[in-house]
Amino acid sequence: MNKIFILSLWITASLMAVEIPTEHAKMRSFGESVALNSKVIQLSNAQQAVMSLVSGHIEKYYVGPGEKVEAGKKIALIESIMLSKMTADYISLKEQFIALDKNYKATKRLYDKGMTSMQELNLQSIQRNAMSAQISALKSQLETLGIRADSLKKASADYLLYAHSAGTVSALLQPLHSVIGEDTAIVSIVKDQAFYIESYLPLEYANVVKIGQKVVVTDGKKNIITHIAQILPELDEKTQRIVLLSSVDEKVDDLYINAFLPSTLYFNVDKEYVSVKKSALSFFNNEWAVFIPNKEAKQKENEIQYEPRVVKVITQDEQYIGVDGIEAGEEYVSDKSYYAKSMLLKSSLGDGD
Amino acid sequence: MLNKIIDISLKYKLLILVLFTAISIFGFKAYKEIPIDAFPDITPKQVVIYTESPANSAEDIEKLITYPVESALSGVAGVKLIMSNSIFGLSYVSVFFDDSMDIYFLRQLVSERLASVNIPAGWGKPVLGPNTTGLGQVYWYQIYDKTGKYSLQQLKEMQKYIVTPLLKSVSGVEEVVGWGGDEKQYNVLIDTKKLQNFAITYGDVVTALQKSNQVAGGQYLEFNREQYLIRGAGLYKNLDDIRDTVIKSTKGQAVTIRDVAKVEVGSAPRFGAVSIDTKEAVMGMVLQRTATNAAKVVASVKAKIPTVNSALPKGVEIKTIYDRTDLTHKAVATMTEALVSGTVLVIIVLFLFLFELRSAFVVVISLPLSLLIAFLLMDYYDISANLMSLSGLAIAVGMIVDGAVVVVENSFRKLHHNPDAPRLQLMAESAKEVATPVTFAVLIIAAVFIPLLSLDGIAGKLYSPMAINIVFVMLASLFVALTIIPVLTFFLLKPSKSSENIVMNNIKKAYTPMLIFALSHAKSLLAGVTLIFIILAYILTLQGREFLPKLNEEALMFRVIAIPGTALSQSTETASEIEKYILKNYPEDIKSVLSMIGRSEKGETAQPNYMELLLTFKHDIKNPAPLTDKMSEDLKHKFKQVQFVPTQPIAMRIEELLEGVKAELAIKIYGDDQKILDNIAKNIQAKLSNVGGLSGMELESQLGQAQINIEPNYLALARYGISVDEVMDVIRYGIGEEAVTEKIEGIRRFGIVPKIKDAKKDIEAIKKITMRSKNGNLVALDQICDISVKQGPSFIKRENLSRYMVLSLSVKGRDIASFVADADKIIKSEVDMPNGYYISWAGDFKNMQEATQKLKVIIPITILIVVLLLYTAFNSVSKALLILINAPFGFIGGIIALLISGVYLSISAIIGFIAIFAIAILNGIVLVSFIDELREKFPNVGLKILLKDAALLRIRPVLMTAFAAFFGILPLLYSSGVGSEIQYPLAVVIAGGIISSTILTLLILPSAYLLLYKNEHFREENKIDPSQQKSALK
Repeated sequence: MNKIFILSLWITASLMAVEIPTEHAKMRSFGESVALNSKVIQLSNAQQAVMSLVSGHIEKYYVGPGEKVEAGKKIALIESIMLSKMTADYISLKEQFIALDKNYKATKRLYDKGMTSMQELNLQSIQRNAMSAQISALKSQLETLGIRADSLKKASADYLLYAHSAGTVSALLQPLHSVIGEDTAIVSIVKDQAFYIESYLPLEYANVVKIGQKVVVTDGKKNIITHIAQILPELDEKTQRIVLLSSVDEKVDDLYINAFLPSTLYFNVDKEYVSVKKSALSFFNNEWAVFIPNKEAKQKENEIQYEPRVVKVITQDEQYIGVDGIEAGEEYVSDKSYYAKSMLLKSSLGDGD
Repeated sequence: MLNKIIDISLKYKLLILVLFTAISIFGFKAYKEIPIDAFPDITPKQVVIYTESPANSAEDIEKLITYPVESALSGVAGVKLIMSNSIFGLSYVSVFFDDSMDIYFLRQLVSERLASVNIPAGWGKPVLGPNTTGLGQVYWYQIYDKTGKYSLQQLKEMQKYIVTPLLKSVSGVEEVVGWGGDEKQYNVLIDTKKLQNFAITYGDVVTALQKSNQVAGGQYLEFNREQYLIRGAGLYKNLDDIRDTVIKSTKGQAVTIRDVAKVEVGSAPRFGAVSIDTKEAVMGMVLQRTATNAAKVVASVKAKIPTVNSALPKGVEIKTIYDRTDLTHKAVATMTEALVSGTVLVIIVLFLFLFELRSAFVVVISLPLSLLIAFLLMDYYDISANLMSLSGLAIAVGMIVDGAVVVVENSFRKLHHNPDAPRLQLMAESAKEVATPVTFAVLIIAAVFIPLLSLDGIAGKLYSPMAINIVFVMLASLFVALTIIPVLTFFLLKPSKSSENIVMNNIKKAYTPMLIFALSHAKSLLAGVTLIFIILAYILTLQGREFLPKLNEEALMFRVIAIPGTALSQSTETASEIEKYILKNYPEDIKSVLSMIGRSEKGETAQPNYMELLLTFKHDIKNPAPLTDKMSEDLKHKFKQVQFVPTQPIAMRIEELLEGVKAELAIKIYGDDQKILDNIAKNIQAKLSNVGGLSGMELESQLGQAQINIEPNYLALARYGISVDEVMDVIRYGIGEEAVTEKIEGIRRFGIVPKIKDAKKDIEAIKKITMRSKNGNLVALDQICDISVKQGPSFIKRENLSRYMVLSLSVKGRDIASFVADADKIIKSEVDMPNGYYISWAGDFKNMQEATQKLKVIIPITILIVVLLLYTAFNSVSKALLILINAPFGFIGGIIALLISGVYLSISAIIGFIAIFAIAILNGIVLVSFIDELREKFPNVGLKILLKDAALLRIRPVLMTAFAAFFGILPLLYSSGVGSEIQYPLAVVIAGGIISSTILTLLILPSAYLLLYKNEHFREENKIDPSQQKSALK
């Protein structure tokens, strides 16, 4: 009778006992980051040149020296033979493609009915695809020049240049109607906001930092994204840190020069590790451990259902840790690892139950 | 001298009456006024020194605080034992002294020594613990907020600044300890990245805070014949004052705290919490001062509560959680009840035997008179009325009347034979005749109990009030028997027509054939009884033993232990879940659950992984044991992450007092290295796991506290120009939240803490704390320090300057002594001990062992004293020995009773045997002295016939004293109130002993007498030689 009572007690109790959640370890890419202190600075020669990317001749200037421009403002109109050829080519290729496509579809129908050979159909398909590739190459070239290819109806030689950032036009570099080559600077604009961010990076990160990495600066509640433009070759003598220079591309209103702001540098964004939740980690017998459900013990009632697995912490972010010592896909205690640890330590204390 | 007393009493009859009326009045007054208590004070003389060192680890505290304190105290006069416990944030050293020393003197000695202890600055200051006893927590209360408006922080503030000062002013209150809630502090949250922006260091901020918050007196100035005092008032008044503190100023531009930090109200890190019915709460405990009376202190505290309530904001009040006096009243009530019902039973017995109202009245009156005198003595010697002292009276109730019975009986008999003799002379004569035997009888009882006073340790403290009271009341009864009783017999006794009664006649009818049979089979009977005694004595050695029977406090507590290193937040969560579970599953029995987690403000040595649950019952539960068992089983299965140990409030404190080990039985393992200690302990656990009777083992694991070790790298520090000192300041203040200065608000003081923002988010955050050197270098903490996580001790216990570890054991269904014997053998033969490591047994068991050792000396001394007394009385060694053989007659019954009831052999039972010894001797004296008297009177009558007549004539007084003693003890056997279980083994033994002793005395003693004196009497019969006649009874 007593035994039945205790058994029923045990069953109800174990039903109500703390649920210890488990999950499966997954591969996960970890972006590493480091918090830095940054200072807002302005570089003295923050001039920007607006360049023509195609050859041609300057038909018209929309701005004059001393004029203030916003980003996206028209600067100049260039008439380009090359552009006219490119647009004409694009239109004719597109028409050819339509014809080829019709052919292909007709052949396909015949093939479906068994009236033509497979070889014929393949030929048609290859021709059609080759044409399509030509078109998309041309299309991307046009789009780099700021011409929307899809809406192109007829060939055009007009190439418009726009300002990249706000500022003041300091000089028109080429006379009107002069002929220019590819990659020629046409207009020089002095930036209104030539903000740069100087970030101080501890020496230990010297080998991970690279030009182009993202540095996010927090100004109040706003995040400003910048990219490293330069890593200064000299350490900052005062702070003994590496100085990173990153440019602020977007227009920011309330940055003050010499202000210090907190920032974060992101690096190694693409490394993958087996990951477990941070809440799974427990310091057990002088080592970091993750608890693994013990399949065999689950059969028996009084056995401890978890066993510790020693892991090496490789990397971590806010929620996850990349670890060595556990296989991807393995089941682990993802939260409340404290309870698993308690049970283990309690049983080794020899509590007579 | 005895005759003189009787003569004087009879001469000044009226004076004696007046004297006793006065004694009765004062005695009654004393009875009403005697302070009551549940237990005698069993605390050893002890001075506790604790040093709070809030942010520091056990290892460092042991090295830098505990050891210096211990070694300073080790040479103090009278030191018996020094124990210490170094835990995270606290050093606790407890010094035990010789019990004979004065506690105030000892405290003085200790403080003087402490003055010479060098503890590094910033590591805390050793202070003496409250001057209270181990059972000093007499009143617990909650600061109860009915409105739900106030935060825990506010409630804590009320506790600290309103309730504590008021309650501390109550007489007898030594200390009021708060528990739970959180303490307000002002956080200056420093963003260390900003240090670069303003070219300052963390140290600059700390210095700025310390330097700004100042006051100074500027003496006075005389102006127009008047004096004007000058005050520099530079203390912070509000948060903006803190924010505006200037850190540095260059070219008229000031950098203030505002620029680098956010100032806000926060909470200090805490070491404990309290949860009541799933909600966190704030409570307090009133500690009584040593040598004050708990009931009185609680009464005064309660009288103060209305004042406290009126001082608290509206809707907040003091709610009682635990009140020691409840138990005290119950315990005293149990004993008073036993005493009263015992008295009533004895009175009934006396009436039945005497069958004559007047003489019965005279005898009965001796009972209250003796008790009242005892109360007067108790009052005079400051003995409180408690479980033990009152039980002393209850045990003695049956024996008190013995003297009076003998005197009255004799007077009655004489009066019966000479109704016409001069009354005064007759009464004096009859009293004088029995004065000597009565005095010896009483002295023997007293003598038997006096050696108990030399028991030391807890047993001594517990049982000496009982022994003293027995001695008091017996001496009082002797005084009564020799003074007022003769006077009363003179006034009240009348010669009666028929002195025989039906009860006695029937008894005699049954007794006569048995006696005749016994006398004719003297040898074989004596041999039989001796054999039985030897067998029983052997069986007794096999009987289980325990130190003290468990006191039923009609309360239930659990000690709940989680793994070391458990966070306070986790424990609080667990507590709340346990409370919820108990309230949900035991709605009929449990009204409220209180969890005390970690430690209170002062003098506790618990960590957040330890908590105590106190359950409040909905209704009186007389026997909480079944509920306790069921609940323990239930909780164990539901909450697998923790261990539950059921206990009771006082029992728990007693357990702690016994050796600092909170278990009935424990093994202490001594040695230096904790890792080796840990291994030995685990080894012992493994080896003992199969020993029968072991129901649980609990290793107080000292390891298991995860630590983040920040070790300065000196090369790196040099590279960046940062000193170790600066690093430690960042750890102490920035991470450890030690206050650098205080904001003083009236009498309230709150720490101002230069906390580093987000430093305690996780381990990574600590590594990345930025420091700036004076010359501008910026470094993360892990650039200049080796930061690692490792496992360290969560506490370090030491005893007499040596580290030790405790393995607690619980034994069920088997007596502890035999378990220890088995286990000890296994450990000695199977467990490897490196050099310098050794074990000792501790806990309850040790006390039992010590007490047994002491009893081994006490008992022979007692026997010797009794023999001497008997020899003095009878002037014959052989008579003394003849009477002494009565003792085994009593023991036979005692042992049988013990075996039948299944009670373990405890100190209580042993004292029962001592009492039996006295009672049996008494029975023997009554009979032997009368036989001698008859032999003197009728030297020519055959010894057998003489013995038969003597036994038949003396059966009434023998039975009367025996029945009186038996019925006097009976209520202790049947009472079930609080405290009854402590006296139960004693009552069992005495009751059994009285029965066997009486029967055997009446049957075997005459036979033994016959065997011893057959030849001598035969000689006397034929050759009368009065010089050879011996009689003690002149």
